Parts: sequence; C-alpha cells; structure tokens
Amino acid sequence: MKNHWIQKYLPFTLGSLSLVWQALFFYVPLLCVIVLSFTGDTPYAAFQGFFSAVYVRIIVRSLGMAFLTASMCLMIGYPFAYFLVFHTHRLRNLLLFLVMLPFWTNFLLHICAWFFVLDRQGLLSYLLQKLGILSGPLMILNTYWAIIIMMVYFYLPFMILPLYTALDRFDQRLLEASLDLGATWWQTVTRVLLPLTMPGIRVGFLLVCIPAFGEFAIPEFMGGDRTMFVGSVIKHLILGAESEVAGSAFTLISSLVLVIVIGMLYLIIGRLVPSRYEKE
Amino acid sequence: MRSSWISRLPSFLLVVFTYLFLYVPLFVLVVFSFNKDPFPAPWSSFTLDWYRELWVSTELWDAFKTSCIIALSATFLSVLMGVMLVFFLMKSVRVQRILGIFYANLVVPEVVLAVGLLSMFSFLHVELGMRTLIIAHTVLGLGYVIPVVYQKYMTIDPHLIDVSMDLGATLGQTFMRIVMPLLRPALYAAGLLVFIISFDDFILSYFCAGSSAQTLSMYIYSMLRIGISPVVNALSTLLLIISSICVMLFCYYNVRSKLL
Repeated sequence: MKNHWIQKYLPFTLGSLSLVWQALFFYVPLLCVIVLSFTGDTPYAAFQGFFSAVYVRIIVRSLGMAFLTASMCLMIGYPFAYFLVFHTHRLRNLLLFLVMLPFWTNFLLHICAWFFVLDRQGLLSYLLQKLGILSGPLMILNTYWAIIIMMVYFYLPFMILPLYTALDRFDQRLLEASLDLGATWWQTVTRVLLPLTMPGIRVGFLLVCIPAFGEFAIPEFMGGDRTMFVGSVIKHLILGAESEVAGSAFTLISSLVLVIVIGMLYLIIGRLVPSRYEKE
Repeated sequence: MRSSWISRLPSFLLVVFTYLFLYVPLFVLVVFSFNKDPFPAPWSSFTLDWYRELWVSTELWDAFKTSCIIALSATFLSVLMGVMLVFFLMKSVRVQRILGIFYANLVVPEVVLAVGLLSMFSFLHVELGMRTLIIAHTVLGLGYVIPVVYQKYMTIDPHLIDVSMDLGATLGQTFMRIVMPLLRPALYAAGLLVFIISFDDFILSYFCAGSSAQTLSMYIYSMLRIGISPVVNALSTLLLIISSICVMLFCYYNVRSKLL
C-alpha cells in the first residue's frame, strides 16, 4: 500500500522540486521587496523621500545610460553579427568563440583591464600622445565617457549573441529577391531585414538594458563613485545605511519605472516597424 | 547584389575594430601580469613573481575554494532539478506552460532579486553564508538550465520512452537509462553555463554572502578597491584561461547536442 503511494506521487514530487525552489527563492523574495516597501511608519512613508529631484534625476540618468548603452551595442553589434553570419565561412566558429569568451569571463576582470587602457599613463593615452592627437595625458577615467565605454564593452556580447541567432535563421535569398524586385537598398533593410530580425533585436535590447540599469560596479570604478546610479543607491541604502525599507521601496520604484519605459518603447517600436511577418 | 569587396570593406573594418576593442584591453592585462614593475611604470622585464605571490596567498585560495564549492553545488542542484522538472512533469502537465515561470529569472534585474533574497533571509534570521549563496545561484541557474534541457528533450522521440515503459522498465530506469544518456550533451552544456555564471557572479554574491563567505569575485572586488596590483593581473590571466577552457567545452557539447 505504502509502496503504491510512493510510486504514484514520487515522480510528481521530484518534478515539482524546482517549482517549489523557484517559488520559495524567487517569487517570495520579490514579494518581500514589495511588502517590505510598505512597512514604514505609515504605509507610504518609504516612498515619500524618493519623489525628490535628486532621486528622479538618478533614475533618469540610469535609464539614459542603459538605453545609450543598448543603442550603441545595437549599432555596433548589428553590422557585426551580419558580417559574421553572411560573410565568414570557415572562420565563423572561431570568431563566434572569440565573442563568447569575454561574455564568459568575470566582469571585474574587464574593469581591471580597462584601467590599463584608460588611465592617464595607460595605453590609449600613450598612443594618442605618440600620434600627436593629444598634447597632455588623457583624462578620461572618472568621467561619463569611461562609464559608457566600459558598459558598451561589457554588454556587447549580450547584444551580439541574440542578433547572431536571429540573423542565422534569416534567409539571405530574401534580400536578393527584394533587391531584384526593385526595392531600394534602404527599403530592403527597413521592410525585410529589420522586421524579420526584430525578435533578436528585442531580446538583445532587453538583455543589455535590464542589467545595465541596475549596474553599480562599473560606475563605481570607472566613474570614481562620484555620479550616482540606481544600482549604487540601492547598494548604499541596503548595505551601507542598513535601511532595508527605504532600499526596497527604491528598488520597487526604479524597477517599475524600467518596466513601464521598456513597455512603452516596445509599443512605439511595434508601431514604427511593420511586424506582420513576425508570426512565421 | 553588390558583392565586390569594396562594399564589404566598411563592415569588415567594423568587425576588425570590434575585435580590437574586445581584445586589446585583455591583451594589455595579460602582458602586464608578466611585468616586473607594477603598473604606471612601463614594461621593464619579464617575471613570474606575481604568479608566485598569487600561489602563496591563502586568502585567494580560500576564495577560490568557496567559489568552486558554490558553483559546483549550484550547478548540480539546478541541473538535477531542471532535468527532473522536464522529465517527470512532462507526463502530467504540459511543461511549456510552466516554462514561463522560469523566464522571469533572466528578465528581473539581479539587483532586485538580491535585495529580495537578502530581506527574506534577514526576516527569517537565516545566517548569510555559503548556503544562502548556493540557494541564490541555483535560482539563477534554473533560468538557464530549464530552457536548454527542455529544447533538447523535445527532440527525443517520445516513442523511445513509451517503448521502454512498455517493455517493463520503471519510470526511474527509463529516466536513468534512456533519457539521461540522450540528454547528456545538453546537460553538460547547461551545467557549464551555470557553473561559469555562478563562478563569475558578483551582484548576488555581494548582497547575499554576509561576512563569512568570500567568493573569488568579491576577492577581486576588494583588491580592485585598494588599487591595481599586478597580482590581480596574474589572477585575471589564470581566470581567462579557465574561462576559455569552459567556453571551448561548452561549444563542443552544444554542437554535439545539436547533432545527436
């Protein structure tokens, strides 16, 4: 009798283990963030502090940085992935491997590497001075430029890989057909290539935007910890000031803003680029 | 179609520049790990002193061990649970509907998950340390394992499972003898992915580690805060080698999982 019971329910139990795990350690914590945000002195006390110009500016700055990073990654990554898919033959796997390698290495290591390039006595500064473009040392570390370069560098593989997958599925003959049938080069790109590879663009954009929004280590090292971003505020509130309620409230607000902005962006892009081919 | 090489030249240059952009910093990093004088000084002479210093640092080895234990446990747990979800629930529920639950792991910013886990652990008075890190990294891993394993599972002929059951194998035997061998390449690929993600993870570790456990990422972070030292370069060079091996293995198993 007991044996029968085990046989009946054991598979289901084993199968649902990961569901339980996911619920307990993923969804419950997210709920915790929401609930904790409202446990101040009055339910909304924790939020009041954040509707000030300072915090609004931080959120806007983080959003701007995330979108700038994603757009730059897209601009570099799209032609890059296109070239990789359509114009490389034997070397393709090696080239793809070389794109994946940075994606698989510790990002703190990349930060360290860029110190050597961007420092006042670093490689870039040295080269620019040798070439006579700059007269003094390059003062780029601790500026927005350094943060952007580092962000684009770090997130580029996240953009290239989904674009590569999307382009790999794309039938190149469609381009030839479109050009043969009299479409201009521009029409072919906007009416055929972009709509058909839109899923890849979308995934890449999300993969870059979301983590870039919460990034705190890159601004901290590259920006010299002078400019605050959403990630740095969360880190400061939770770990530095030990004010969990305020920290959760800020996490909640900023994630909501991110979700809303990305949602709106998708609606707008969906209107601009005809997506009727996508369903295939 | 204009296929002359001139029209391809701009994109060719872009690709070359992108690779330079990706690899010159890493190259400089590796080169300076062999330099005798620490950074602002230019190249002087070749040395392995920094590697020797790395070798004798106990703090580093502890961090390395902690990272390995956490990454291995998270990999094991997430791969095991992921496979069992796909195999055992496939019989009763349409798993595809459940998959959506796990996609959230890839979409929610890691900081948000980290804040949530931290507040939950402190609410329950769970002591932060290796255990909490393993829990956190397993959640992260599930988001990657389940889609990979599911995709591979869908390519297995369902008749094979039916035949095995009809011929008298139990569900457990079918799982171990039929499904697992067929899934193996995909499992290795997913496992490697989770291992490296856990090994390199910084945000979750930073929030959920407490003071008792220090992972390799946190060790590098604290070293970077102090300033650049060639020891970090040496460590980075070694990590680069480890990562390359992992990626090569991943590519190998990924290709095999698609072929078989």
